[in-house]
Amino acid sequence: MVALVIALALFFDFTNGFHDTANAMATPIATGAIKPKTAVALAAVLNLVGAFLSTEVAKTVSGGIIKEGSDGVQITPDIIFAGLMGAILWNMITWLKGLPSSSSHALFGGLIGAAIAGIGIHSINFESLMQKVILPAIFAPIIAGVVAYLCTKLAYALTSRHDPESGSKLTQKRGGFRTGQIFTSSLVALAHGTNDAQKTMGIITLVLIAAGTQAPGSGPEFWVIASCAFAIAIGTYSGGWRIIRTMGSGLTEVKPAQGFAAESSTASAILASSHLGFALSTTQVASGSVIGSGMGRRGTSVRWGTAGRIALGWLFTLPAAGIVGALTALLVQTGVVGVVIAAVAGTGAVLFMFLHSKKSHVGHHNAVEVDQAGQAVRFRKKKKAMSVSSSKDEPKGEL
Amino acid sequence: MKWLELVQVAGATLIAAVTVVVLYSLGVRLTAIAGDVSERKPSWLRPLAYVCFGLCGVAVLFGLYLIIPYFSK
Repeated sequence: MVALVIALALFFDFTNGFHDTANAMATPIATGAIKPKTAVALAAVLNLVGAFLSTEVAKTVSGGIIKEGSDGVQITPDIIFAGLMGAILWNMITWLKGLPSSSSHALFGGLIGAAIAGIGIHSINFESLMQKVILPAIFAPIIAGVVAYLCTKLAYALTSRHDPESGSKLTQKRGGFRTGQIFTSSLVALAHGTNDAQKTMGIITLVLIAAGTQAPGSGPEFWVIASCAFAIAIGTYSGGWRIIRTMGSGLTEVKPAQGFAAESSTASAILASSHLGFALSTTQVASGSVIGSGMGRRGTSVRWGTAGRIALGWLFTLPAAGIVGALTALLVQTGVVGVVIAAVAGTGAVLFMFLHSKKSHVGHHNAVEVDQAGQAVRFRKKKKAMSVSSSKDEPKGEL
Repeated sequence: MKWLELVQVAGATLIAAVTVVVLYSLGVRLTAIAGDVSERKPSWLRPLAYVCFGLCGVAVLFGLYLIIPYFSK
């Protein structure tokens, strides 16, 4: 069981990586600041480095959402197994649909479902659930969206130049924002590595302690740190291109100045939240920033249909991962046969979704239409062809 | 509920992001002005642009300082 949980935890780490590449790299890819493959490679390296930088793991699996510890319930490897199963399946489903959704919320959902089914409803601390999951989910996109909106307005106001006499536009050099994007998006990727790889390290360490192979209260073993770091880096490098497409071009068209504003807001919000004690989800912050920056630039429209689908996805994250977690927990309780059935069914579902994804391949070559590149205009559709051909005619200074 | 923390996070996000974006935008604008072909323009424009970018670099370094636990703990 312990080995199974470790394998599953590492796979969760992997899905976490490819699910969250988009947070850091979708906008620089969309503006052409970094080439798609370079971008995911950069994000992967930064995630790897970030994972090694920060190895102080949490003392509880759920961060207080489940009443664990000496005076509460004992979270067994069975429950963690079921919770991880719920989180992984939900991550795969949202990836298939191209929806950015929070991996940590999926993990919480899976654990909550498993705890309710395996222990009972009294094991859940609802106040902590409200404070750590539900409120941040409402406020993260709002804060990031408003800040990104203001920043985009400012960036365009400060760089807009007109000739005082003729009123014609002067060169604005807004392409210069591309260089800045590289740095802001790198910060986001590094912060992601320090935060998210830690979660998996924490789970594995706690399972090892529960199994008695590691002294209570000790930090993660080196092989745990290394394998978590590589799992998240490989996940990041494999690139969740579907989600990058949604974030980079599905929500709104992104231009360099706008992308820089969005990235700065995302980076600020993540750093502020991790240092001032109100945890916000990276994914929700990043989505909010992109939407906010889309509203801030004149002449752009935000595709509210896509935004709505994403919000709906967030709403379902907790219950959907919870139901899978609960079902798995019930199966696991029946004994060894149940564990085998759950493991096989889970692997089967992941394989099925992977094969299903092959039908409509989204890769680095077609994830995002880069605004200045004529090469990416192969899949013309009726509406897109119009907007692309018009934007191609614009001179470079109009960025 | 941690409303105070929420407000702090929102405020810090706003201040940090606006500072960086304003500095970088000024840098971009000054570069653009310095690149104009007109005759009469002060010679300190381009250095000033670099100062703006430099300050942004400092902000990024501060971000690194916050991210890496070795420094901030």
